[in-house]
Amino acid sequence: MNSLLFIGISILILIWYLTFSANRLDRLHHRVETSWANLDAILQRRAAIAQEIAHLPEIDPASNLILMSAAHQAREAEIFERSEAESGLSAALRLLRDESDVPHLHIDLFKELDEVTDRLRTAIAIHQESVVATINRRSKLIYRIFRLAGHAPLPVTYPFEDEEL
Amino acid sequence: MRIGIVSPYAWDVPGGVQANIKDHATYLLSEGHHVSVLAPAISEESISEDFVVSAGKPVAIPYNGAVARVLFGPVAASRVRQWLAQNEFDVLHLHEPAIPSLSLLACAIAEGPMIGTFHAAAPKQKVAFVIAPLLEPIIEKLRARIAVSEVARETLTIHLETDAIVIPNGIDVKFFQRAEPDKSWQRDFTIGFIGRFSEPRKGLEVLIKAIPEIVKSIPNARFLIAGPGEGLDVMQSVSPNLRHKLEFLGRLSESEKASFFKSIDLYVAPNTGGESFGIILAEAMASGTVILASDLPAFVHVLGSGKYGETFTNEDSHDLARRVISLFKDEQRRDTLSISAKIGAERFDWSSVGPEIMNVYLHSRGEGEKVTIGSDSRNWLRLFNREGTNSEER
Repeated sequence: MNSLLFIGISILILIWYLTFSANRLDRLHHRVETSWANLDAILQRRAAIAQEIAHLPEIDPASNLILMSAAHQAREAEIFERSEAESGLSAALRLLRDESDVPHLHIDLFKELDEVTDRLRTAIAIHQESVVATINRRSKLIYRIFRLAGHAPLPVTYPFEDEEL
Repeated sequence: MRIGIVSPYAWDVPGGVQANIKDHATYLLSEGHHVSVLAPAISEESISEDFVVSAGKPVAIPYNGAVARVLFGPVAASRVRQWLAQNEFDVLHLHEPAIPSLSLLACAIAEGPMIGTFHAAAPKQKVAFVIAPLLEPIIEKLRARIAVSEVARETLTIHLETDAIVIPNGIDVKFFQRAEPDKSWQRDFTIGFIGRFSEPRKGLEVLIKAIPEIVKSIPNARFLIAGPGEGLDVMQSVSPNLRHKLEFLGRLSESEKASFFKSIDLYVAPNTGGESFGIILAEAMASGTVILASDLPAFVHVLGSGKYGETFTNEDSHDLARRVISLFKDEQRRDTLSISAKIGAERFDWSSVGPEIMNVYLHSRGEGEKVTIGSDSRNWLRLFNREGTNSEER
């Protein structure tokens, strides 16, 4: 009788623990979705600014082409290639910022670019943190045995662009 | 934006975290946001700000070398629920959520966009962090973490294995720039100290031990000791012929503190440890005060590695005295430090720190998301739903 009670309680505890764990992971997945949506929104805004810059009258055709194709690639990239494509755009923008006098002619536009770049740093940091937390959690044994992640795809890391930003 | 802020420490007890929350809330209100602060309070009548809501009376526990007044328990929990339900926040900002406190409670109860700010710099294996595995599922709910300094960030990475964005505490630079010096604090070569000097980690003893050596080279040196504490006890450790060099000012109000910084010739911060940020140094910098601080990592960081103020070897009274004397002799060096300190302080003004925090708020929140109260019963329902959908798929 006693052992039956013990087994019963153990099962209840296991069920509770599994719900608790699944719930935790569910929340983490939601966190990643939110942080990715925010990061994506800010990246889109940057691409839009890059295109606006590319169409400025002072921009030579070569720079225009580089910027437009970088912005286009960044927008079209699959999620796992995204950070690489965005680094390309970062590098193109930084080159223009440091090596030409266009920023002095369009102060407002470049001020906006700077603001977006600042926000981008924060967004990347927040997203990166939530991805790492989720991946760490999903690698735990209990999540793998009971397949608590369900069909949710494993989040993709977005390496921080320390170099280019 | 509707912003809720939770303070772990009692509102009516002076402290760095509370002061920081108050300044931040004032800044947010001036930017046109809706702000409500939930904080423990020893007496509800003592709260003068109308944006602060009391969560009840806290209990005193020793923490990080000081006495912290914190609050938790079922009554506090129901206050948190009530507060969350009434306000429908867009974001919830929790201060110091990793210690057992009102913030941790709020973090456990609420669901949605939550941000945590970590102030403490605790060395490894502090009691509060032993329970880290228990904290993890709760702290994990935070969408973003802010550490007030690199030191606080390191503490966080070591104990909770998560990273954080470093945003320093804010100060009102203009307030310190505008202050007028007080004539009675300007006689002689005045060396100032501020802090609860009964706490050993504030390091007054290091300064006291350096007095004989300093007075030998600077006969007109005068030591102004500000902050709450029993001056008589300190006096007993000073030799009788030097006692007239010391003056105890008691606790200073914010505006007195600002004019104190404007009046003194040199500010000494001999803290021996436990400092995570050193906001007092940022305030002194804004006043253009010449600073000499112990070389704690947090202090070195705020002082721009020596650009905005000098440092001496921690707990070394001899080195402290030596630096004081060399600064006394070199007036030009003092002028340079004063000018560059004012420039360095801009980094800590709310006009630069505030938008950075707002940025974190914006990036932690999904479109149209609100802070809600998490319910455990809902989780059980979810389990049954999950099983239901799985069997359908099969």
